[in-house]
Amino acid sequence: MNLNRIFANVVVDLKHFYREKSTVFFVLLFPILLILLFGFIFQGQGDLSYDLTVQNLDDGPFGEALLTNISYSGIFTLDEVDPDITVDVQYIEDNSINTVLIIPVGFSDGILSLLDNSTPPAPVPLTIYYDPSNSAAQSKVQILGSLIGYMNKQLANTTDYIYLDQPISTASEDLEYIDFFVPGIIAMSVMSSSLFGTVGINTELRQKGILRKLATTPLTRPEWLLSNIMYQFIMALMSTSVILLVGFLVFGLVPHIGPFMFLFIVLNVFSFAGIGMLITRFVKEAESAQAAANAVMFPMMFLSGTFFPLEMMPDFLKIIAQFLPLYYVNEGLRASMITMNNSTILLSAGVILAFAIIVFILGVLLTTWKDD
Amino acid sequence: MGEDVIIVKDLVKVYGELRAVDGISFEVEKGEVFAFLGPNGAGKTTTVEMIETIRTPTSGEIDILGMDVRKDRTEILKRIGVLPQEFSSFDRLTVRETIVYYGRLFCADCNVDHLLKLVDLEKHKDMLYMNLSGGLKQRVGIAVALVNDPEIVFLDEPTTGLDPRARHDVWEVIKGLKKQGKTIFLTTHYMEEAEVLADYIGIISKGKIIAYGTTQELIDKHFQHVHVTIKGAGTNVLAVAKAMEFKAKAENGNIVVEAVGNDQIIDFLGQLKARNVKFEGMDIRKPNLEELFLMLTGEELVTEDEVKE
Repeated sequence: MNLNRIFANVVVDLKHFYREKSTVFFVLLFPILLILLFGFIFQGQGDLSYDLTVQNLDDGPFGEALLTNISYSGIFTLDEVDPDITVDVQYIEDNSINTVLIIPVGFSDGILSLLDNSTPPAPVPLTIYYDPSNSAAQSKVQILGSLIGYMNKQLANTTDYIYLDQPISTASEDLEYIDFFVPGIIAMSVMSSSLFGTVGINTELRQKGILRKLATTPLTRPEWLLSNIMYQFIMALMSTSVILLVGFLVFGLVPHIGPFMFLFIVLNVFSFAGIGMLITRFVKEAESAQAAANAVMFPMMFLSGTFFPLEMMPDFLKIIAQFLPLYYVNEGLRASMITMNNSTILLSAGVILAFAIIVFILGVLLTTWKDD
Repeated sequence: MGEDVIIVKDLVKVYGELRAVDGISFEVEKGEVFAFLGPNGAGKTTTVEMIETIRTPTSGEIDILGMDVRKDRTEILKRIGVLPQEFSSFDRLTVRETIVYYGRLFCADCNVDHLLKLVDLEKHKDMLYMNLSGGLKQRVGIAVALVNDPEIVFLDEPTTGLDPRARHDVWEVIKGLKKQGKTIFLTTHYMEEAEVLADYIGIISKGKIIAYGTTQELIDKHFQHVHVTIKGAGTNVLAVAKAMEFKAKAENGNIVVEAVGNDQIIDFLGQLKARNVKFEGMDIRKPNLEELFLMLTGEELVTEDEVKE
């Protein structure tokens, strides 16, 4: 392994990339187009209009008054739940709700005792359930907090009468579409740029005879494989940044950007650049190699839960999905960026790591410079 | 006598039914230009790529700079330079960037300016490869083959597809390399190229070497006669030649007579004079490699299509 040779290759690839404007367009603008298109189509449910589900368990006047105040603020449209229903995490998931405000039993009594000054002041709590993966829910909790602060000021200047109890996370897997979609689109873009980028470079260099020339230099095949993967990783970082930026600017999505996100992107690159190498090892003609790459990519795109949650699909497709490497990248990226579900992160990372290692080793073993 | 830097012995390459290279042996001496001459498909490139270590021989031995192609691939690659057949490079790199890139692959401290000067590309160093003419592209290829200051330079059909002017420019570059004392292994299907550049020639046809030696040796060995071409003459010249029992034929309006030794030439011309035969001009020359090849194989070296290029 010689780093100088590897970097020389990466530099050449990058120069070639930015001097070819059409590839710049495809790598960077295509994902943006997809995210805007799908984002807007499926964002239509109007979650950003701040519907608020409330349940009033209080039988005194103050609970009712609080709700009236909240609805007068004009920020929320209230959707009241019957007090007989048990509102818990299960109920919230079943009804696809992202935020619930519960006025507890005895709320009015609590306020009355505060007004009487008969007991030492102890503010009365309100219960909130919210879905942390939902950006709208987070905004709602914040707005409710400031509304209640304002009401406290109206009631008495010195002490808080009401406060929002620590919001209870529903830790729901019932994600907003855009939360679901952005990690998926990152996984898919990185897959397609790695796969097609690798197939493209390989077939182009073979057709031009550059591979034959490289075979007569000290550059080894593993060095060349690695330099390609490094180049594809830089491409992947660029498209990921663009997608995250659009996700934030247009849809207000703020995902967790941590080491695991990068790990899944690296493994995604390794897996699909490796598959690309193997394809061009066995399919030498440029158009057939492209067709083979398409044959790999399309099932991955549609069957591994990129555009639509797998829950929407029939059981046999769910089983098929578990054999597709992109499924684990999708799951892993979603878990590491949105839901922070550690067991999913570790499971997905394990599977895709094993896959990436196998593909890369096969790539090194099966591909040689020699033509025969 | 110099040392042999390439020794090929009983080399065979088989593809399925086809014996592309069928048991050839030859040596190349240090500092000489060796031309491997043959028509397309004769096995030239297969042979040269086996010597360059990028194809595996079916059987036979190749010893290059005292090393075995099968075992010492890495070391061999450091000491040879290769211009592959139909060389092409990265479209969107400049000439200079291309040379620097290959230099880095060899981790050689290559002197880019020196190489640019050597192949006369100083004026074009900042042009993108894709915008160069065919001749300039080939010169980039030669510069790239020299980045590691190799002891042996392999040039696989360096002028195929070039116009005559560009071809001569490439020849000048190759002559310059020869002056530097580099050993050059040249494959070509242009007889003229081999005649101009080569010290030694191996002619290959259908996987076998059918003639091997210096140009002069090959011609002298296979042809005792010279061609006496009488221009602008009538059929009476043909009649004179036939009467003297010389081989003769009409060709492009000229009469070509084969004569052996100076006496025969003088006799023939004397006969023409004695009979007062009028003609416009004449030349006398040895048959060339083209004719040698035709004689040995019955095949044309360069086909009609290639002449039109």
